[in-house]
Amino acid sequence: MASAVRNRLGSVTRFGRAPPPSKKLRIDKHSGLPRPHVGNLIVRDFAPCRLEEHYHTTLADDLMYLTYKHEHLPRPPPRQIRLTYDSNDPYTKNRYNPPVGGSQAGKKLPPPSSPSNVVQLQRVSVHTFLRDAITNKGSLLPLIAAMRSLAGETLKGGGRHSSQGIQIVRAKKSVGTWKLRPGIPIAVKFDLTGPAMYDFLANVTEFVLPRIRDFRGLQMPAPSASPNSASAVGGVVSFGLPPEALGYFPQIEVNQDSYPKMYGLHIHCITNAEGLGAQNQARALLSGFQLPFLKK
Amino acid sequence: MFTLNSASAPCRRLISKRAVRALATEVPAQAAAPSEASKSKAKVPINAAVILNRSPFLTKTPTPFERAYYAYQARIRRALHNPFPYDFYFKQGSLLETRFNMEERKRERKAFGPDFASEDYSSAESAEAMAAVEMLKQQESEGQEFAPRTNKADTEQDLTSLDRQGQRNLYLLLQEEEGSGRKRWRFPQGDVEKGELLHQAAQRDLHDECGANMDTWVVSRNPIGVHRPAADSASQPTFFFKAHILAGQVQLQSSRISSFAWLTKEEIQKHTDAEYWEGVKDMLSDY
Repeated sequence: MASAVRNRLGSVTRFGRAPPPSKKLRIDKHSGLPRPHVGNLIVRDFAPCRLEEHYHTTLADDLMYLTYKHEHLPRPPPRQIRLTYDSNDPYTKNRYNPPVGGSQAGKKLPPPSSPSNVVQLQRVSVHTFLRDAITNKGSLLPLIAAMRSLAGETLKGGGRHSSQGIQIVRAKKSVGTWKLRPGIPIAVKFDLTGPAMYDFLANVTEFVLPRIRDFRGLQMPAPSASPNSASAVGGVVSFGLPPEALGYFPQIEVNQDSYPKMYGLHIHCITNAEGLGAQNQARALLSGFQLPFLKK
Repeated sequence: MFTLNSASAPCRRLISKRAVRALATEVPAQAAAPSEASKSKAKVPINAAVILNRSPFLTKTPTPFERAYYAYQARIRRALHNPFPYDFYFKQGSLLETRFNMEERKRERKAFGPDFASEDYSSAESAEAMAAVEMLKQQESEGQEFAPRTNKADTEQDLTSLDRQGQRNLYLLLQEEEGSGRKRWRFPQGDVEKGELLHQAAQRDLHDECGANMDTWVVSRNPIGVHRPAADSASQPTFFFKAHILAGQVQLQSSRISSFAWLTKEEIQKHTDAEYWEGVKDMLSDY
């Protein structure tokens, strides 16, 4: 079958010859360049992804068995907690009406275990705050360059509409002691999804973490830490890398001298896990990608 | 591939909640009096089995359709990508820059056809650069060789080797000789003793049948499925646990077991009888 296809088409990966243009291309008003007759060009995956395949062949099954919670009866309906104000009273009608006893967010149960909600990585978000940028916003430029080579992404770069590229984070508050004013650029961040996210994670676990001096693993919270805290029920695992670790990424290491200094990173691995014990599920997933965790 | 409900329902019926709770807080059996110890050896009318898995260690070879799709997407991406900042990454006129430019031109022509980015290396300077790049390539590739994607176990069709079928999930099956002289293939399994946790029984049974020369990890305390034999058969319901082999190899311990094999899902269907296959097929991975 495969050889038959190859014989008929020549090579499946090589482009033969471009067809002759049938009509004149329109000229773009802004750039003055010819625009091809195609509308919405969207680029999908252009290579198989090793870690993603590992997830689907091995990790998804194991994580379902590991995180499965057996519930033999349907769940009772949620307890009706009285609201603070009478919602029918015209005086308090459109007012924010919290339940008595505070937010129940940290006590929410995870959805029932099923093959469709096995924990999965959704997004990796990386950000760096630069204190120098408060006084001199030009100092963000080398940081942006480093982040670009780290992410390999620009705004809608390579025809990927979801790519936001490197985003500049502006201060929200005014903090007198740090001379922080609202609206000034102080940090840089980028989000990765799909194969780029898995490749970034592979770079971290294979090139960066093994070369950090005295690195033993990512610290887990103490056993006494509250299981109801926002971080414990959020399904996000966050960790930081020191400035010298940036130089261990292969795309930075190749010309590290071009950057005036190295910067630390905050990395957030965002999963679809939610409810009580979500962070434990997220850690189980990430340890499947060879990210080591350390008990406190 | 996923079986949750089939495992959970009989589990509830056969192991009462009270028994499990009593076990969890019980003093270990060694401390008990000898009469009690012999009582704890009593058998429970269920079996525990282990689905011992060797995960794939090679990425899947793309099909011709997948390769064509990836090449097409890569071509669009190449056409739309932002310009590469040569001067930031390479020193001007360096050997590495020359090499990158040559390789890049080759990639462009592969993506956009032979007419694209035609090269002109007629001048002596370019020929010199090409020779230098060729030499650098030879120096760098010295002693480097890609490992083949198929190995000896594949060509010799050695079913007992853990190196076979690197792109697939493999599972351990044992060939058991029954009393009537008939042979049948099954997963490693054994009895459950009274007072023993099911997942621990599974680990012990694996150890009893396949020896201690293996590092294994039982993934979960929950059974992943159950096989209930036909009503007229004498055999008992079997609970399956998933485990991974991390190192080592099987060393058969029992004379009843004549051989073992590491098989993919499709091969398991060929080896086992239809009734057993129907019970276990949904616990195995298609990849």
